[in-house]
Amino acid sequence: MENNIELKNVSKSYKGFTLKNISFNVPQGSIVGLIGENGAGKTTTIKSILNITNAEGSVTIFGKDSKKAEKEIKNDIGVVLDDSFLSDYLTAKHVNSIMKDVYKTWNEGKYINLLKQFDLPKDKLIKDFSSGMKMKLKIATAIAHNPKLLILDEPTSGLDPVVRNEILDMLRKYIEEDETRSILLSTHITSDLEHISDYIVFIEKGKMVFDLPTNELLENYGIIKCSKEDFSRLDEKDYIKYKKEKYQYEVLTSNKDTIRRKYNITTIDKPSIEDIMLFYIKGER
Amino acid sequence: MIKGLLKKDLYNLSSYKASIIIIVLFCGIAIVGTEAINWGPIIICTIVGMIALSTFNYDEIAKSNKYILALPTNRKEIVKEKYILAIGAVILGGILGILLTIIVANAINYFRPENMININYESLLTTTIGGMWGVSLIQAIQIPSIYKWGAEKGRIQMFVLLFALIVIGAGIGFLIAQANFSIDMEVLIEFINKFGLILLVALMIVMYYVSYKISYKIYKNKEE
Repeated sequence: MENNIELKNVSKSYKGFTLKNISFNVPQGSIVGLIGENGAGKTTTIKSILNITNAEGSVTIFGKDSKKAEKEIKNDIGVVLDDSFLSDYLTAKHVNSIMKDVYKTWNEGKYINLLKQFDLPKDKLIKDFSSGMKMKLKIATAIAHNPKLLILDEPTSGLDPVVRNEILDMLRKYIEEDETRSILLSTHITSDLEHISDYIVFIEKGKMVFDLPTNELLENYGIIKCSKEDFSRLDEKDYIKYKKEKYQYEVLTSNKDTIRRKYNITTIDKPSIEDIMLFYIKGER
Repeated sequence: MIKGLLKKDLYNLSSYKASIIIIVLFCGIAIVGTEAINWGPIIICTIVGMIALSTFNYDEIAKSNKYILALPTNRKEIVKEKYILAIGAVILGGILGILLTIIVANAINYFRPENMININYESLLTTTIGGMWGVSLIQAIQIPSIYKWGAEKGRIQMFVLLFALIVIGAGIGFLIAQANFSIDMEVLIEFINKFGLILLVALMIVMYYVSYKISYKIYKNKEE
């Protein structure tokens, strides 16, 4: 399987924060979710991929060096950034006119259709849009030139569940239309990823914790709920982190079948991505 | 891509349409009132030139720079576009100023033939280019200041730099005066008459070029 993005040892230091040796791939035909707390390094990773910030390490997009072939590569990328877009004193019509001269493959018809589909007015100033409408406009702008790769930074934050679902549906359709496309989506709303992502990359305090297929994560990981005695029987190699609750221990394992067989423990819950993330952040070892 | 960026800035500036019309009308009225026809182009050129730089504020408020860097462009093109806009605004301001002055002066002469205003086109052109040069100097200092310190702080730093330049200029003038150079004023005036305009234009080009190089160097290493 070819990769649309390959990151190798990407590092970046700011005052008080270091992103260290981030390496992962975004294969064609897949949606990769980038998760982590606020300030974990998700946006810095995305900025490094897009060459917005000057990071160390290697970023290859569509098999080309992201710095050397920057303009060529970016013609095939659609971008949604959480806190950044064109000025609020423009209209959706202005955005169309600007983007016609920005992207070689800008598809005006597709953009107008997306505006209709999202119920977005063409002549209203963006400053008068709701946050959901703004995000829909950003997404319409990102996909109207039929990019091979979508990079989305927190596209669903601050949106109500209806709009969030609409956006997730649209992303699903986008990836189904062409198997060479892929999406890198950063979010702290991990429940969104359970339904649409193929891989999860977890970053914590600037370091990569794991890069795993979503299925593997949801099927193999488990939360063992056990007594102190049962917990003391567990080999440290068999679990990742634990939390001491009032009446029991909760233990995160990456191989629940082994735990069942080896320790004869039957109470193992299926965790959500959020549970897993919380264990890694708050759990003890 | 530069065309797209220019469109973005021009659409942003279109919100100034009403303000520019009011300013132009105000300048027209001022010319009628004072008959100081040479001031029209200078005022209009200054206003239009300064309004062009307000696009930095739009970008800063919307945090657009990060988004623009994610589009198929690079930092060189982004800086270049701002200079094209700034220079275009100065030229447009100069042309608008001259046209307005000619229209207003002719209108006055038509309605008040007993007190005709004689337009000295050479003098009008000289003051216009002089005004354009002044605005260019401010822009050439202001644009790198904005790239270095941001749109808000950059404006204050620009005035500090401009003040420093005036002090340096005055200092050099004072030293020359102290050195008791004997300058043949006739030769100097003849030289200015002959080459003054060309020199001003050449200086404008050099100022913009140096300013562009400094701005690009600053922006190349800037974190967004």
